[in-house]
Amino acid sequence: MRAMVIDDSRAMRMILKRIVTKLNFDAVEAGDGQEALNLLADMTEVPDLALIDWNMPNMNGLEFVTNVRADPRLREMTLVMVTTESEQSQIVRALAAGAHEYVIKPFTEGAMIEKLALLGLVPTGANS
Amino acid sequence: MSVEVEVNENDLAEMVEQVWESYLDPEGINPLIPTYDENQPSEVHSSVSITGSWTGHIVYASSTQAARRAAAAFLAMEADEVSQEDLTDVLGELANIVGGNVKAMLPPGAFLSLPQVVLAPESTARFPNTQRISGVYGIWDGEPVSISMWHSRADNNQEVGA
Amino acid sequence: MTLSQSEFSFVSTLVRKEASIVLAPGKEYLVEARLIPVARAVGAANVNEFLAELQRRPNLDYQRKIIDALTTNETSWFRDREPFAALTDVILPELIKSRAATRKVRFWSGASSSGQEAYSLAITLQEALPPGWSYEIVGTDISTEMVKRAETAEYSQVEVNRGLPAAQLVQYFERAGAHWRVTSHLRKNVSFKLMNLTAPLPAMQPFDVVFMRNVLIYFDVATKRTVLQNVAKLLRPDGWLFLGAAETTIGIDDNYERVAAGRTSAYRVRTGVPAGAPRRG
Repeated sequence: MRAMVIDDSRAMRMILKRIVTKLNFDAVEAGDGQEALNLLADMTEVPDLALIDWNMPNMNGLEFVTNVRADPRLREMTLVMVTTESEQSQIVRALAAGAHEYVIKPFTEGAMIEKLALLGLVPTGANS
Repeated sequence: MSVEVEVNENDLAEMVEQVWESYLDPEGINPLIPTYDENQPSEVHSSVSITGSWTGHIVYASSTQAARRAAAAFLAMEADEVSQEDLTDVLGELANIVGGNVKAMLPPGAFLSLPQVVLAPESTARFPNTQRISGVYGIWDGEPVSISMWHSRADNNQEVGA
Repeated sequence: MTLSQSEFSFVSTLVRKEASIVLAPGKEYLVEARLIPVARAVGAANVNEFLAELQRRPNLDYQRKIIDALTTNETSWFRDREPFAALTDVILPELIKSRAATRKVRFWSGASSSGQEAYSLAITLQEALPPGWSYEIVGTDISTEMVKRAETAEYSQVEVNRGLPAAQLVQYFERAGAHWRVTSHLRKNVSFKLMNLTAPLPAMQPFDVVFMRNVLIYFDVATKRTVLQNVAKLLRPDGWLFLGAAETTIGIDDNYERVAAGRTSAYRVRTGVPAGAPRRG
């Protein structure tokens, strides 16, 4: 399984990469929404999962989600926002735009794994 | 505009503790130990500014060593392997995470700036017309770390609270 | 490190005895970090003085503050998921048929702690019951603080990150400062009471479903039997009992039989055995 980690903070990308690698995903990184779309355009196999920050330069996470959901080729990607934006209205906006799940920063590794398990993305027995 | 805001020191302390629990001390063996020492020294600091429905800053400050340790925790490397770029990234992200959570408690219409990181003591920072309204001051692994919240006064005729 | 080994032992013993909190070795710094604000709040000069004062003279308030400061909530919403799936897939459809006359169901969350199980049940019922149906959930706990906390229905950001789908977060919770609070719309169907499961239970209307999960493990066999007998008296004859994943009535109370419930199991009183019949097993 493949995951794309999209955040303008390298440190945050490292944290997320570690978690998805533990869950047997191959991880790909991007620093903003535009870079992520460019990478996706070149991929033959679409990733199963994208973990997406909200506030990024060039294209933010909400715009990225909107673009992905408008593209039939990317239909199978599960989109999870991972962000400090935690107002109720922001979560509603992200879900309405097509994000499947939402994780508020800071998150523990256990919480992230549980969220991914809710989405059926955790191989049984991999829960810590 | 009143200096009082809906984010009190307990709220800030809770947010800071959650950052430790999530990224810096997941095992619960190396927490931030409170000192309440507002004058503790720092060598590096980062901040995010909040504008819109509320104006102010969230500031992270610590020794260089503590900052390296934080970066090491995020990047799963040794403290002495941390580059300046990594350090800047992590300090910015820490201010960003706390700032984002503070923002969610403010009246709607608050905006967060991109983080600024300065490899110099917090005391050199120049935030005009600001007043510290709360702060978490502590020692992490023997090193000083603080996260504080500053409110900008709209004008000098501000009525000053107690 | 200002906490001595004996001070750490004192605190460990206290929280283990009063709140079943186990402090593993290595947590000394965390205990110190958590107790410093507590000591400060009560006006003690430092943690050592605070603990010395408590050892000199028992102080329930100080004790409670310590327990509060050291309680880490490891529970997630819809814990273990399968029992909740069993409700949606198997049990509620059955109850919807069998309770068609009253269109009402009653659930009990035993040892409800901070209330996450009770509110998880409420969300499940809210979503699975047809219009025109009502439900009532009663949570009980032996601790006054836990009952209060469950009634307050406020959870921290990290707590709501655990196992709660975001769509349900925004539907059933609203922000309350740094926390998230269950909406009154959901809270109105959930109540909490103080109760000791091992003592004779107060009269209550019987329940259709009882969640008694990861409670029995704390008791010896005789007490387990007492609790299960007590539960049987409050369970509708065709009602369902859910225990924790590693728990069973088998070998403890033969009045129950284990049945499949979706992908997990539940327990029902054996047919033909009236509630309160002399126990066997």
